Amino acid sequence: MMRTRVGSLIAVAAIVVAAWSGSATPTPAAPSAAPSAAPSAAASAAPSAAAASPASTATEGGNMVYALNGDMVLADPALVSDGNSLLVAEQVVENLVGLQPGTISTVIPVLAASLPTVSADGLTYTFPLRTGIKFHDGTDFNADAVVYNYNRWQNFPKGDLQDNAYYYGAVFGGFGSASNVASVTAPDEQTVVITLKTPQSNFLLASTLAVFGIQSPAALKAGNADTTPISSNKYAQGQLPQGQDMVGTGPFIFKEWVPGDHVTIVKNPNYWDTPNAAHLDQVTFKPIGDSTATLQALQSGGVDAAFSISPLDVKTAQSSGLSIIDRGSSCNQLNLDMNQSVGGKATIYANKNVRLAISEAVNKQSYADAFYAGLGTVPTGFMPPATLGFKAETLPAFDSTKAKADLAASGVTGSALNIDLYYPSNVVRPYMPDPKGIAQAIAGDLQAVGFTVTLKTEDWHGGYVSDATNGKLALYLFGWTCDWAGADNFLYTAWFGYQGGKPNPQFGWANAQANTDMTQALQAPTADAANTLWGQVQDLLAQDLPVVPLVNSQPPGALTSKVHGYVGASNGTEYLNSVWLSQ
Amino acid sequence: MARFIVRRLLVAIPVLFGLSVILFMFLRLLPGGGPAEAILGQHATPQLVAQITAAQGLDRPLYVQYVEYIGRLLHGDFGASFVDGRQVATTFLVRFPGTVELTIGAMIFAVGLGIPLGRLAARHPNGWIDGIVTVISLFGISIPVFVLGYALAFVFGVELHWLPTFGQIDPRLNVPPVTHFAIIDAVLAGHWYVIDALAHLILPSIALGTIPLAVFTRITRASVIDVSNEDYVRTARAKGLTEGRVNDRHIMRNAWLPVATVIGLETGALLAGAVLTETVFSWNGVGSWVVSSIQNHDYIVVQSLILIFATIFLTVNLIVDIGYAFLNPRIRYS
Repeated sequence: MMRTRVGSLIAVAAIVVAAWSGSATPTPAAPSAAPSAAPSAAASAAPSAAAASPASTATEGGNMVYALNGDMVLADPALVSDGNSLLVAEQVVENLVGLQPGTISTVIPVLAASLPTVSADGLTYTFPLRTGIKFHDGTDFNADAVVYNYNRWQNFPKGDLQDNAYYYGAVFGGFGSASNVASVTAPDEQTVVITLKTPQSNFLLASTLAVFGIQSPAALKAGNADTTPISSNKYAQGQLPQGQDMVGTGPFIFKEWVPGDHVTIVKNPNYWDTPNAAHLDQVTFKPIGDSTATLQALQSGGVDAAFSISPLDVKTAQSSGLSIIDRGSSCNQLNLDMNQSVGGKATIYANKNVRLAISEAVNKQSYADAFYAGLGTVPTGFMPPATLGFKAETLPAFDSTKAKADLAASGVTGSALNIDLYYPSNVVRPYMPDPKGIAQAIAGDLQAVGFTVTLKTEDWHGGYVSDATNGKLALYLFGWTCDWAGADNFLYTAWFGYQGGKPNPQFGWANAQANTDMTQALQAPTADAANTLWGQVQDLLAQDLPVVPLVNSQPPGALTSKVHGYVGASNGTEYLNSVWLSQ
Repeated sequence: MARFIVRRLLVAIPVLFGLSVILFMFLRLLPGGGPAEAILGQHATPQLVAQITAAQGLDRPLYVQYVEYIGRLLHGDFGASFVDGRQVATTFLVRFPGTVELTIGAMIFAVGLGIPLGRLAARHPNGWIDGIVTVISLFGISIPVFVLGYALAFVFGVELHWLPTFGQIDPRLNVPPVTHFAIIDAVLAGHWYVIDALAHLILPSIALGTIPLAVFTRITRASVIDVSNEDYVRTARAKGLTEGRVNDRHIMRNAWLPVATVIGLETGALLAGAVLTETVFSWNGVGSWVVSSIQNHDYIVVQSLILIFATIFLTVNLIVDIGYAFLNPRIRYS
């Protein structure tokens, strides 16, 4: 008993000492955010994943324990939209096209033998397929399998299958006849032709999402996965016997899922792309929902890698000998949203000079320095620079004097300058590691130029998201992590696309020209045409400043010194076939 | 006795019914976009949230939803999660064994240490040993579980590398989940994996068992001192019985009654999920499940789980009351 108590006292003292010493550790250099030079699609027919370290130096075998910040939700990749489920799926199921490992927008062929040929009108994509590939259940991958999967997604019945297949609906505009897919055909065993109803400039990039992974038709049929509601869909729930769930063609095979405890994938010994076969025998994904517990699990060696750690723990992790995953170019953005119309009434943010004053009042660099452990950068536009279609804009620089002058020019005075600033509680987002701290810093900056700021908070799931998206908040923190690194994903899907013919109530930003440009950009037949239109939209945003872009960041993850060959990407699309463990 | 048990069971029915009504209403008063928002995450637009809410039937009048829920419940159907679609009963069978193991571990720690300490303190009332035990028990009650949990994990896991800091068994061992009791599964797997499972149980058990340990120590001390002052104890000593015999036969047998009651109540409470301990040690039990379900507004899971917890608690209480009668033959229920 006494020993236990003494141990506790020592522990508490040790934590205090560790925290103190951690605070004295020099800040690591921020990884450079490479400028966007990525073409929309790579011409090479490279296989799905390239190892960071030469395969000859890699040690084969081993079981890597990989901490996730939560459990998988479903085992059918077509029905998920959460990062944990997608990360598992990326190892098991492959798409026609994927992303070059370590990039967020370089498209490469995977199950397709090369990138598709696209008709001049931008409507028809013809994919030649690789030959000799088998699904994990031993059945053949071929054009019929691709057609089966595309038809399956398009014909998900109304109800929870459609509700969960968010990405199909979002990318193709709906299901059934509402889908932008006109037809998917197989003129021969090794060719698939996808015909769209209208050109869709994001088609190829969005096709890299793991939700569009090709699964074995035989397994899907055997598991009654195509039409069975999720509550009785054993395939989706991952409750079928081993080898019958999540049957793809990837370098790992889905082995086991114990809800809340672990997901296990094992090496595919018959992987078609031999040079890029997995080095590891097994990966066990372990959900650890608490950030301190994750750090301790890494430090104790209980886990080998963690997909995410708190930015607040980065220094401690580095001083413990852990390495931070280099995730390259950011694929997220935190904004300070200024809603111009709440409850049908114009707010003070409808006044351009107020928005300009706020944009000049906030010291973004100080937020990036203080809250992101060297992994945050100040935005140079309205989405991360590596996003396809990005255009750098001249955004207002931090200048309190100018902010005061612009606020005076706005004509807004007296009690109208008493404003509420909302931040979410009980949540940490990749782009928002410390919502309260960031909000306090912003409030300080705004007070300095003449506003009187009252900080307010709501629980993230307990009202914040719904109040923000329903247009009930006027000034608040909000952000976005890319689904795919295209301009449409940030500018149209996430933020400024009109809803039901009206401005998104989240912003109350009425700009019909921008909406028209975005709609046309989505339907542009070529990447160049789309990028021109996206550039125009970003110019309009820079003129009107409906939001203040605050920070682009790399979400930190960590590896023990045993882990090698890990290729990070800030959109979370990370392939583990290149990873190996030293003894 | 039979009549007593039947009466207690009948009383439990309105208690559970009332609880179900309050829970049902309370959960739906929580602000936010409901389970649809959790499913959609950052993609939760008002239109999609409304669409999914309608598809889940959550836009219907509350009484309709409640009647449907109770109807299913009476047929033994606890419903399915709005988020992952899994039946509550199925997931419960996967996660409850973890909570049972943790409860047993914590109770072994708390009872095994708390009662001897209480007896030790009672033997030297108001002396320095009693003082030390009092300080220890006050410390045990005062320190937050999560602070103790992190501290234990830091010292014994991170610094000393003596004990694991998370989970029920090392994932690298690939122990097949047969019963979902990690220790039993480890025994079935062989290779002395059970040692690893036991090692995983130590720190969470200490963290979870510290408060009960403090309670048991105080109750045992007070009860033993009370009984020690009874006339029959003095008589036993006057008859020339050895101190050990007086302790075993006359003091402890009687002092056990309040201690056993508290042990029963604490066991019932721990079985309802040790939220913080399970979170700190990534323990796959029902406590952490309740937390994630509340965050996701997964109404069906939360209300079904709390009803199950209430049933467990009432059952354990009943067992304690029955056990009380066996421990003290002077007590008879009618």
